[in-house]
Amino acid sequence: MNQFYLFFRIFIFPGFLFLLVIALFLHWLDRKLIARFQGRVGPPWYQPVADLVKLFAKEDILPSGTNLFFAALLPLTSFASVLTASFYLPIAIQSAPSFQGDFIVLMFLLSIPSLLYFLAGWITGGVYSVIGGNRALLQYFSYEVLFLLAMSGTAIASGSWSLADIRLAQIKEGPYIFPQIAGFLLSLAGLIGKLKREPYDIPKAKSEVIAGALTEFSGKKLALWYLTIHLQTMVGLSFLIHCYFSGFWQMNTISGFFIFLLLLIILQGVLSAISAIYARLRIDQLIHLNWHIFIPIALLHNIFILLI
Amino acid sequence: MNKLILKLRSFFYLLPNITEALFSKPETIAYPAVSHRPSESYRGSVRIIAENCVGCGLCVRDCPAAALSLEKVSKGCFRLDHYRDRCTSCGQCEMSCKFNSIYLDNLYKEASADRVDFFEVLVDKTKKK
Amino acid sequence: MSKITVPIGPQHPLLKEPLSFLVSLEGEKVIDSTLRLGYVHRGIEKLAEQRTYIQNAYLIERICGICSHIHSTTYCQSVEALLKLEVPKRGLYIRMLLCELERIHSHLLWLGVLAKNIGLNTLFMYAWRDREIVLNIMEEISGGRVSHAVNIIGGVRVDLNEKHLSLLQKSLQELNMRVDEILQSIENDRSFRARTRNIGCLSLEDIKRYCVVGPVARASGLDIDIRRDAPYAAYDELSFEVPLMTEGDVWARSILRILETIQAIRLCTQIIHNLPKGPVSVSAPRRVPAGEVVSRAEAPRGEVFYYVRSDGSQNPARLKVRTPTLTTLITLPGQLKNMQLADVSAVIAGVDLCIACGDR
Repeated sequence: MNQFYLFFRIFIFPGFLFLLVIALFLHWLDRKLIARFQGRVGPPWYQPVADLVKLFAKEDILPSGTNLFFAALLPLTSFASVLTASFYLPIAIQSAPSFQGDFIVLMFLLSIPSLLYFLAGWITGGVYSVIGGNRALLQYFSYEVLFLLAMSGTAIASGSWSLADIRLAQIKEGPYIFPQIAGFLLSLAGLIGKLKREPYDIPKAKSEVIAGALTEFSGKKLALWYLTIHLQTMVGLSFLIHCYFSGFWQMNTISGFFIFLLLLIILQGVLSAISAIYARLRIDQLIHLNWHIFIPIALLHNIFILLI
Repeated sequence: MNKLILKLRSFFYLLPNITEALFSKPETIAYPAVSHRPSESYRGSVRIIAENCVGCGLCVRDCPAAALSLEKVSKGCFRLDHYRDRCTSCGQCEMSCKFNSIYLDNLYKEASADRVDFFEVLVDKTKKK
Repeated sequence: MSKITVPIGPQHPLLKEPLSFLVSLEGEKVIDSTLRLGYVHRGIEKLAEQRTYIQNAYLIERICGICSHIHSTTYCQSVEALLKLEVPKRGLYIRMLLCELERIHSHLLWLGVLAKNIGLNTLFMYAWRDREIVLNIMEEISGGRVSHAVNIIGGVRVDLNEKHLSLLQKSLQELNMRVDEILQSIENDRSFRARTRNIGCLSLEDIKRYCVVGPVARASGLDIDIRRDAPYAAYDELSFEVPLMTEGDVWARSILRILETIQAIRLCTQIIHNLPKGPVSVSAPRRVPAGEVVSRAEAPRGEVFYYVRSDGSQNPARLKVRTPTLTTLITLPGQLKNMQLADVSAVIAGVDLCIACGDR
């Protein structure tokens, strides 16, 4: 009985299947919203599932000379790291006991896929993959730092590096979104940079490097890369909601779950709107924007939080 | 004041446009679930009014894609073939015909998996009455 | 640092038509580039010698999909000059109407492609949504959205009735509003400016050295326009302005093309208000007397140049086409000095290449 319960919690709810359903739903919402912003009809609700099914049926072929063991290991490891990250994050249901420092562990687990993306570009070779991978690494160095700095504002304000303590502090003092609106916007920018969405999608810019580091992948490996990106979006957004909006609902209740889902949908809508209105930035403009504008504001913001 | 608003809006210029587009009807249709009708003057497939055709061959001579061919047995006894896969729907045959026989309608859905479907005998007057 | 060669090769999401463009990079900076054409060469000039003049009008239309009507206009003009035919005024006005409509559609298509290449997909969708208005008008008038088949030797073969004129008036008003909005977006949006300002600059000396024509030349300060300098097809009876800019970068070319679109809408409105009555064509003999003639017109991309020589039979003896894309292609390696790889897409989209025109 206990094992069946464990199996249910790990694979069905709030485990693997549940996360997958919500991640695919958020991906569909993103595509549908962007389509409606542009005046098009947009894909039907089963499109992400259909894409994954199609990818699983395709032939898996890589350039000769690629180390096949690592080419299979990289997508699996990135998928596994994002799933482990979701394990620590309470998605309106307490799943794992929180400990001091799990904020940093979550941040680290969420950043592993970007590093592996760069490695995937290197091992498959080819001009487009290498250029895409290099750009991804440059973006990784900048926007991970921004994400960590901006999100640390909440940890500093609550006084501990544990997710449960951040939540408890927000229940006492009110959600952190209102005093730390600048930090929220900066961490949103950092999240867009991490996820390589428009306007920061220069590593996988279709008009220059075709598909960046993933150019040579196909079939099941590409399906795993796409699943990683979808899950990373969902876990990143849940992380943001947990750190900034936690005072709004009760844990372990149905209403809490629905409020959480609503907040996810709203934030995904904000992400889609940002993707629709900006052109893709060049890599030097990206770096300039990050290090000359965003990081100083984040530093000042954190100092301000420390002093208050 | 207007200049200031414009300067502020330049950071996210398209935001009002996308909110307006979100709440209006989309410009595309979900084809083929929703059907599409082209206009009346659209140049589609070649059709014939067989009674009017006398086998003069003006359409065959002027077709730029060699999509029509005339096989004459004797006066009044001929067969007019049409190769649909070569036709570009330009309408020169309709213009050249002096007897109001060949014309273009606005049908355009003509996909087929078999090459045989694209060869059409337009007029067959080979049998002596 | 080591050199990498990125093939913006025959197949690339950046290009509409195949073109081999090898870019040598050092890091992200472009050092050198080589260009190679010929992937869409169909031998149209040779094919034209084997077909009659009447059939060639349809063959010439298929040199390019975007500027098809201009090609057939120039061809028909040259054969009419050899036959010494006088096309009736109404036919000339309808020809001009379709030329200007094609200019609008070509510039809106180009804007969408530039926006897509720099990542602004929303502007791409908006520009192509507005282009649908023009394509619907062309479908109503001529029967085809892209291949019009309107020109014949001696005039045009379609006529405008009351229904067409009222549709045109309504659509042109709506188009005017939307193109104004697009102009405001391009001028004011910061991310668009960040990707196109000071990219791919061409100075006036470069323009004169490479003999560039069209909007690329007008954006760098060279004031040429065949419609005004050597008017054909009743352009001397209409009034319009030729916009001119001096910066010479991709941003200036964008603004210039949208200003040209606004002028084209103005020309279309003048045409439908001053449409003369009468026949739309005269009948033309099949045999063309011997002679040679040169004819020019202003395509959306610049000056298109036709040379036709006939020897008295039903087929032309030689047909030579020089399209404006050939002149702008040569400037590409010079534009890309000291640019980054990410700017290659903006530059290639900014010169509005039509490789099918260039290769024939």
